[in-house]
Amino acid sequence: MITLGSQGKNTFLEAVNLKSGANVLECYQCGKCVSTCPVSQYMDFPPREIMQMIKLGLKEECYMANSHWFCLTCSACSGRCPREIDIPAVMEAVRHLAIEENHINDSKKVKEIRKFHEIFLDMIKRYGRNYELRMMAEFNIRTRNLFKDMHLAPKALLKGKIPLGVKPLKSAKAIKRMYEVAERLEKKK
Amino acid sequence: MKKLTYFPGCSAHGTSEEFDSTLKLVLKTLDVELEDIPDWNCCGATSAHVMTENLAYALPMRNLVLAEKLENTTMGIACASCYQRMKVTKVHMDENPELAKRINTTVVEEGTYKGTVDVKSMLQYFYEDIGIEAIKEKVVKSLAGLKVACYYGCLLTRPKNITNFDSPEYPVSMDQICEALGATATEFDYKTECCGASFSISNTEVVLNLSGQILAMAKESGAHAIVVACPLCQSNLDMRQPDIEKQQGVKYDIPVFYITQLMALAFGNPISQLKFPKHIIPVEGALANIGKVEPGPEKVKKPIKAVEAESEVK
Repeated sequence: MITLGSQGKNTFLEAVNLKSGANVLECYQCGKCVSTCPVSQYMDFPPREIMQMIKLGLKEECYMANSHWFCLTCSACSGRCPREIDIPAVMEAVRHLAIEENHINDSKKVKEIRKFHEIFLDMIKRYGRNYELRMMAEFNIRTRNLFKDMHLAPKALLKGKIPLGVKPLKSAKAIKRMYEVAERLEKKK
Repeated sequence: MKKLTYFPGCSAHGTSEEFDSTLKLVLKTLDVELEDIPDWNCCGATSAHVMTENLAYALPMRNLVLAEKLENTTMGIACASCYQRMKVTKVHMDENPELAKRINTTVVEEGTYKGTVDVKSMLQYFYEDIGIEAIKEKVVKSLAGLKVACYYGCLLTRPKNITNFDSPEYPVSMDQICEALGATATEFDYKTECCGASFSISNTEVVLNLSGQILAMAKESGAHAIVVACPLCQSNLDMRQPDIEKQQGVKYDIPVFYITQLMALAFGNPISQLKFPKHIIPVEGALANIGKVEPGPEKVKKPIKAVEAESEVK
């Protein structure tokens, strides 16, 4: 059995609190977040359990969970939390720490979610704006699922729902520079 | 004539082109002139803040800095996701000047962030800056007979300390606008449930489940149509509806309008300008209800403050 405070300094808890601006220790495990969360059924550990795991310093287990990848940041939980803890910020802090330390859940679903976000950011880096058609195509190619959503394509394209091109920024260079500086800031921390 | 800085967002040129164009029709009627942010960039949406903190602040900050160079003090944003990212960045930068200084190094060439521009969603702008009465005055074709479920999604009113607008649990601003147009807003409990948003492509199963529940509840509330103010909500509920129907074995056939499409319709714009053919679920069935009943006595909606006070008592 692990008892709170028994294993000395909980550096993981400190790191999460610092990054999220929340105080995870304030959670008294009422479970309102779990019943509110629209995606808790898909999570390895629902938000309430993640909060407790942080308190116990279970860093690896938190990192490797899919929970923070499934969090939609809809803020339904924090809106109803009786302790007013910013739970999405806590989820985000765990995710960012996991990315920084490169300890990431390698299930197919999490890989796909990450791939999507990477492609999205790549579109912005290249064009300054999202290029929906290319993003979808790249997602299908890079997740080896070529026919995903193809049944929607004829109608969406015909109705002009998804345009064929994108109007890139005039100052595309500004965005590339922003990405470089942001990356340097990320490393400095 | 009022002036407003406008941030259309990436989807305004694609999936939500009808939101953008009908918004412009509505603002023309309301005598508001839009000024685009020159060479605006993507806000980074969900992807930026999921993956990295700095980029999630840097992308919106460039737009905020560019907006500060214009004369207007308010920026109106059509897309709920763009609104959220811009507002989060603004609130966090204003609270923490140290952070603002650090993030500003990513956009030095654009200028220095000052925090002089207020950020509002278009729904908030209609509600606070235009006002229900002014909207009512412009109605030439009442939508009486049409019952709508107003769906806000998660980003327009939450988190409360960021948006500072309407109720995070049971908002009523869009309901009041719809009633000002003559339509009836149904009692709809799934107003602020999440539609699955950014999982539309990467985790479609979740979107089908969550959006399916919203469609079912809207239908149950007796609505002929759903009204939204977010491009992602619209595309999840409209474009994915046939898939949801197939999966659940239920026929919903419930069109999803942007609030601006209904406003433009009530303001007397010709149907041909409202981009209805862009919808995947046809709108004609729902629109046929308009005029089917005589406009009854006006229903009195409780003001937001009273609703909040009540929920606090509970």
